[in-house]
Amino acid sequence: MSPFASVPGFVEQKESFGETTVVVDRERLVEAAEHARDELGFNFFVDMTPTDYLGWGSRGVAGYWGSPPPSSTRGWEPAQRDINTPFPGSQGLPRMPEPKPKRFSVSYHLLALEQPPRRLRLKVWADEGEPVPSVVSVWPAADWFEREAWDMMGITIEGHPNLVRIIMDEDWEGHPLRKDYPLGGEPVRFSDED
Amino acid sequence: MAVKRPGRLFEYGLNSERLLMREAGPKQDEPAKFETELGDLENRLMLSTVEKAVAWAQGSSIWPDTFGLACCAIEMMSIVSSRYDVARFGAEVFRNSPRQADLLIVSGRLSHKMAAPFRQIYDQMLEPKWVIAMGACASSGGMFNNYAVLQSVDKVVPVDIYIPGCPPRPEAVLEGIVRLQEKIKAGVPPAYEIRKTGQG
Amino acid sequence: MAVVAKPAGVLATGARPYEGTKIPSPIPTVLQVDEELRESGDILEINFGPNHPSTHGVLRLVVELNGERVVGIKPMIGYLHTGFEKNMEAKTWWKAITYAPRIDYLAFQHNELVFVLAIEKLLELETPPKAVWMRTLLCELNRLHSHLVWLGTGSLEMGAISMFWYCFRERESILDLFELVAGFRMHTRYFQTGGLAEDVPVGFYAECQSFADAMPARIDEYEAMLDGQKIFLERTQGIGHLSAADAIAMGQSGPILRASGVDWDLRKRQPYLAYDQLDFDVPTRPTGDTYDRFKVRLLEMRESVRIIQQCLDGMPDGPWISDDRKVVLPPRHELHTSMESLIHHFKIVTEGYRVPEGEVYVPIESPRGEMGCYVVSDGGPRPWRVHFRAPSFVALQGTAMFVRDTLIADMIAILASLDPVMGEVDR
Repeated sequence: MSPFASVPGFVEQKESFGETTVVVDRERLVEAAEHARDELGFNFFVDMTPTDYLGWGSRGVAGYWGSPPPSSTRGWEPAQRDINTPFPGSQGLPRMPEPKPKRFSVSYHLLALEQPPRRLRLKVWADEGEPVPSVVSVWPAADWFEREAWDMMGITIEGHPNLVRIIMDEDWEGHPLRKDYPLGGEPVRFSDED
Repeated sequence: MAVKRPGRLFEYGLNSERLLMREAGPKQDEPAKFETELGDLENRLMLSTVEKAVAWAQGSSIWPDTFGLACCAIEMMSIVSSRYDVARFGAEVFRNSPRQADLLIVSGRLSHKMAAPFRQIYDQMLEPKWVIAMGACASSGGMFNNYAVLQSVDKVVPVDIYIPGCPPRPEAVLEGIVRLQEKIKAGVPPAYEIRKTGQG
Repeated sequence: MAVVAKPAGVLATGARPYEGTKIPSPIPTVLQVDEELRESGDILEINFGPNHPSTHGVLRLVVELNGERVVGIKPMIGYLHTGFEKNMEAKTWWKAITYAPRIDYLAFQHNELVFVLAIEKLLELETPPKAVWMRTLLCELNRLHSHLVWLGTGSLEMGAISMFWYCFRERESILDLFELVAGFRMHTRYFQTGGLAEDVPVGFYAECQSFADAMPARIDEYEAMLDGQKIFLERTQGIGHLSAADAIAMGQSGPILRASGVDWDLRKRQPYLAYDQLDFDVPTRPTGDTYDRFKVRLLEMRESVRIIQQCLDGMPDGPWISDDRKVVLPPRHELHTSMESLIHHFKIVTEGYRVPEGEVYVPIESPRGEMGCYVVSDGGPRPWRVHFRAPSFVALQGTAMFVRDTLIADMIAILASLDPVMGEVDR
C-alpha cells in the first residue's frame, strides 16, 4: 500500500516521468497539506501552479514516434522508441489526449529537505467558481503563489488573508492566463501598407 | 551672425567698466590698454550663435535618468563601465532624480502597470528633455506582442531616438546617444515639440 | 530539518499564527504596524519605487517608518509583467525557448536550461555528453556573470561604488566568451532541445582557459575590497538575520538558505547535467545575516571557477546535439541526399516537433535558488502550460520577514543581499 493512500481526501496517485502526483479532494486540501507536511515530511513548499484545461482535447494530436537510426559514431544509447508498438498515436493516426475531470487544476509542488530529496505533486481539480482552500496556514510560502493563482487564473482561494491582485493592475478586469482570455497585442503593420 | 569687423567690446553688450576704462590721457582715439593687451580678438574667440553654443553644451553633457526596467538595463549599465565608457560622451552621470536629468533611456519592456509611474517620471523632468527608446521592447513591444506589454513607449511619451536590439550591444547604445547629440547640435527640437505620442 | 512552528490557530479567527518566528501575521508577506504605535501618530508612510536606484529593478515598497525604524512594509510587484507564460503557450516549442532567457535576465542560460530540460524530460530525449558538459560550463559561467552583476550593483547601492567597475570588467570577459561561443552577449539562445544549437567554435576552450586562470585572482581582489572594509562589515553583519526554520517555512532556497546554515544545493542533492561527475564544495554560513549572504555568493564564485576548470579538463568530444530526427534538425549536407531528412526538416521548421502528452516539473539550481519549470503538454507542437518557479519571487515574499525591526538604510542592504531580479518575479 503506497504511503500516500493515507493522505486525507486521497483520490488517486499517478507516477510518470519519475514524478509522483497525488490527486486529493479539493475540500480536504488543508488536511492533506498538513498530513503531507507533518506525517510525510514535505516541509518545503516549492511551487503552486494553476492550469486551465478549457479546450483540452479539442484538437487531435498525431503521434509519430520513432528512434534515431543506428550510428557507430554516437557512443551513447538513445531511448528506443519503436513506431510499431501499439501505443496510441504511434501509427501516425490522430488521437485525442486524455480528458480531464474539471476545468482547472492546481498543482502544489512539495519537497522534503532530506537526503535523498523527495518531491511530490499534490493536485486538486476545481471548476469555474469553485474555491480552493488556502494552505498559507500550513506553508506561509504559499501566500503570493495563491494571490497569483487568483489574479492570473481567477481561482478563488478561500481563507487567504490578503487576496488582492499581485501581478496585474489593481483595477484590471479579467484573468489573463485563462484560455478564453485573448493573447492581446497589436497587429503588426508593415511599411508598405497604407 | 555675420562676421563683421568687431569694434569695441561694449558694442556687443559687454558693460564691464574695466573694458571701458581708458588710460587717462589726451589720446582718446587710441585703443585702451586692455584692448591692446587682448590684441586681435577675432582670433581668440569663437563666435557663434547663442543657440548653437547652448546646443553644444546640452548635447555634450546630457545626463540620463536611472530608468532601467529589464534586460536592456544591464546593457545600459555596461556602457558606464570602462570598456565602453559613456563618460567620453558626457553622459556618465546617471541622475537618480528625474528633476535633475535630461535624458530618459527607456531600457526594457514597459508593462501597463508601469506606464503610469513612467509617465509621471517623464513629466517630472524639466524641459528640454529627450527620450531614447532602447531595445526592441521599448521601440515596438519587441517579441512580446501581448496584453501585458505596451507596444512601444511612444504610446506614452514622445521619443527622439529608437535603438533596436534585444538587448542592443553597448556600442549600439553609444551610437544612439551620439546620434542624439548630433540631433541636438543640429538644432532639431526635442520630440515633444515636433511629435505627439502614439505616432511614428 | 526543523519545521515551522505549527500555527496557533485558524487565521480567520484573528489568532496569531507563526508565533515565535519572524514571519509577520496574519499576512506572512506584509508587516503591519502595531495598533498602539499607529495611534501615537508617529508613523511616516513612504513609497519606494517602482523607479528607485536601489530596489534592483521595478520593485515597489510601501514602507511605514517610525523615525528610522521600519515598522511596516508591503512589497508590491507586477511592474514588469510581460506575459511570458501566455506568450509561450502561443508559440511552438522551438520558438518558446527564445522567451525563456528574458525571464531571469541575469542568469539567462539557466532559464533556457530549465525549459529545455523539461522538454527533453517529456520527450525522454538524451543529450550527447559534449552537450551536457558544455551546458554545465556555460551555466557556471552564467552563475559567475549573475553573481558579478549582483555584487557590483549590490555594493553600488551600499555606496561602494568602485566594486561596480571591477565586477563589470570581469563581466565583459564573460560576455566575450558568450559572444565567442554563441554569437551574442546576453540571451544567447544557445541551448536547443537535444543539445546545443551549434558546435563549439574553435578557440573557445583556449579563451575560457585563460579566463579561468585569471579569475581566482580577481575574486581575491573582490574579497579584499569588501571583507576587509569596516564600513561594509558594519553595514552587513548582524543585519537581516534569518533562521533556518524561517527560511524553510518561507520557501527560501539558494544562497539565502545556505547562508542560514542549511546545506542544500540541487547540484549536489538532485544532480542534473554533469554535476555528479564534478568535484566542488557547497559553501554554507552559520548566521544567516546579510554578511553571510554576501559571503556565500563570493565563495560560490570560487567554486564556479573550479567547476569551469574541471569542465574544460574533462570536455568530451563528439556530437553537440542529439540524433533524433523527429526533434532535431538534420545536418544540412543530409538534405541533399536523404528524402526523409528533407521531410523531417520541413515538418520541424513549419509545424514544430511534437512533445508527448504529460506534465513535468524540472528544478535546477540557478544563482538565486531553485528555479523550476512546470510544463504541461497536450501532445501537440505548442506548450499547453508553462510555469517558471522563480526563486526571486519567493525571496521577495519574505521581504517583510527580513526587514522586521531594521533601520531603513539596512533595508537597502538586506534587499541587495536577497538578489532579486524583477523579470523573474513578475514574469
